[in-house]
Amino acid sequence: MLFSSALIGLREGLEAALVVSILVAFLVKTERRHALRWVWPGVGAAVLLSIAVGAVLTYTTAQLSFEHQELLGGSLSIVAVVFVTAMIFWMRKASKSIAAELRGKMDDALDVGPMAVLLLSFLAVGREGLETAVFFYSAVQTAQSDTVQPLIGFAIGIVAAVILAFLLYKGAVRFNLAKFFTITGVLLVFVAAGVLGYGLHDLQEAAFLPGINTLAFDASDALPETSWYGALLKGIFNYSQQTTVLQAIAWVAYVAIVLPLFLKPSKKTAPVPAAAAAPKE
Amino acid sequence: MTVRKTHRTPLALVAGAAALVTLAACDGQGTTGTESSTGAAGGPIKVEASDTACTVSANTAAAGNVTFEITNKGAKVTEFYLYAEGDRIIGEVENIAPGLNRRLIVEASDAGKYQTACKPGMAGNGIRGDFTITGGAPKQADANARKAAATKSYADYVANNTAALEEQTGKFVDLVKAGKVDEAKAAYATTRVYYERIEPVAEKFGDLDPAIDVREADLEPNQQFTGFHRLEKDLYVTGLKPDSPQIADKLLTDVKDLVAKSKTLELTALDLANGAKGLLDEVATGKITGEEETFSHTDLWDFQANVDGSKGAIASLRPLLQERDAALVSTLDKEFANVQGLLDKTRVGDGYKFYNQLSQDEIKAFASAVDALSEPLSKVAEVVSR
Repeated sequence: MLFSSALIGLREGLEAALVVSILVAFLVKTERRHALRWVWPGVGAAVLLSIAVGAVLTYTTAQLSFEHQELLGGSLSIVAVVFVTAMIFWMRKASKSIAAELRGKMDDALDVGPMAVLLLSFLAVGREGLETAVFFYSAVQTAQSDTVQPLIGFAIGIVAAVILAFLLYKGAVRFNLAKFFTITGVLLVFVAAGVLGYGLHDLQEAAFLPGINTLAFDASDALPETSWYGALLKGIFNYSQQTTVLQAIAWVAYVAIVLPLFLKPSKKTAPVPAAAAAPKE
Repeated sequence: MTVRKTHRTPLALVAGAAALVTLAACDGQGTTGTESSTGAAGGPIKVEASDTACTVSANTAAAGNVTFEITNKGAKVTEFYLYAEGDRIIGEVENIAPGLNRRLIVEASDAGKYQTACKPGMAGNGIRGDFTITGGAPKQADANARKAAATKSYADYVANNTAALEEQTGKFVDLVKAGKVDEAKAAYATTRVYYERIEPVAEKFGDLDPAIDVREADLEPNQQFTGFHRLEKDLYVTGLKPDSPQIADKLLTDVKDLVAKSKTLELTALDLANGAKGLLDEVATGKITGEEETFSHTDLWDFQANVDGSKGAIASLRPLLQERDAALVSTLDKEFANVQGLLDKTRVGDGYKFYNQLSQDEIKAFASAVDALSEPLSKVAEVVSR
């Protein structure tokens, strides 16, 4: 009881925190700390909005029809993919400029508007925020009337997700800059592919797109989402045990297009000089 | 060097999560969702899900918002779905952790066969159960049946009035031809009532309405002044003229023609809606201004007849309107009663005050009451054509 709720919390928390932690690591790593103050308003706005809407849906007779809810989640996911993709290429550009001149050029490449940082943070958290908030409220209500276990489990899961995201961040900032770009970039490619598939799946559930029952594979037995490793996979890569054909095609297409583009060697792939590497702690 | 700032990151995340917990916990004193009424009779349908079963407390619900209250008694996380035919998802709740209660409100507006499903482990096709939505939003066929009933009922209303119109016009014409001015005057307003009630129907037949009911002020060049108002002028102003009997005969012929044609008229529900509104417009433009009966001043008889006719059309549409917009029906009832109340105040014996006996205040009161009734009446057509 506790464990399965914790997994849900972990999964939902990771979905939200992962992109944010990479973004934060990125800003810290590239000495753009002043942009950090735009991360938290984005995250905060998404959390508050989810909480507020969740409360309205839970405690009043107001309701969002199922289709609208899925349309909202699905559309936000697809917008999030656009932003994450932009971030991926922005990182690539930045990583290329490292070899050239460590500072001046980099500042240009990273001259990203506060709005972009804010929106990316908002979307990363907000796209699944509503569903999570509604889950959370029902756990609260159950805690009042019946058992407190799901609520505790959920909280444990969220905390675990935050710790994991923090560790990821800590790990990420250890790498030297070039490696950091490559690793987080590749990671983000897979994350974005997952978010894209997930968003399309939502739109299929809302019957906005066809083919909800046309499955590419069903790994419910081999790799269930309810296992800890399944939950991690879902949290990080938006793995779904029942993947529709549309979802699979979108995922493969995205990875097949974006990953080579990201990894494509530029004309001068000079190894990054040691001086550029971040000092090990 | 940057350690302190680095720590702000996770701290803020933790703080965010903590804020989420605190906020939501504070909200816990609200009404719980289980108590909120959703319009579904008999409260939410309880679903008890376990790893092997999916027990639904009711397998039918009336169309509209249906609320399911799902409790997961199993050890696996589960999902609950409501499917329409062909596994179209009407609504779903994911992530129902063991021990958790979750609520699903779906709007199932179409009667028909549905399926409930619990998916322990959130996998596979789930444990299915049949579910029926009853009654509900009328299928187009039902709506058509209601519309047909409305037009049929209004056709009866029209038939009753046209029969009376023919009979009364016959008597009125005889009095005119016999030169009995006072008796003809007495019969004038009460005969016109039957015409004024069904005026929208009369207007369907091109030239008949002008021939029967044209006002002197509205004559086109070269148009002969005939019908009720020509006789009104003869009776009340100029005295009977040599051609009054011919005019009277023509009036009766036209009325008979109208009555015959109205029997074959195929009205639609939308015609009724537009007619109900049209009659009120007639009141506003003709009767309240005193222009309709400019010689006899019997405008209030016409006024009452127009209101009756409008009421008749709405009464025929009532079942359809009640179903689609009950609030509109009660507004209409209220405003009709308001107008009728004012009319009743002007009653004199079997009839009403003459228009030239009304005070400015009375006329103003009529005008605003008619406006207030016109407003909801103008919405009827939209509701009918939905």
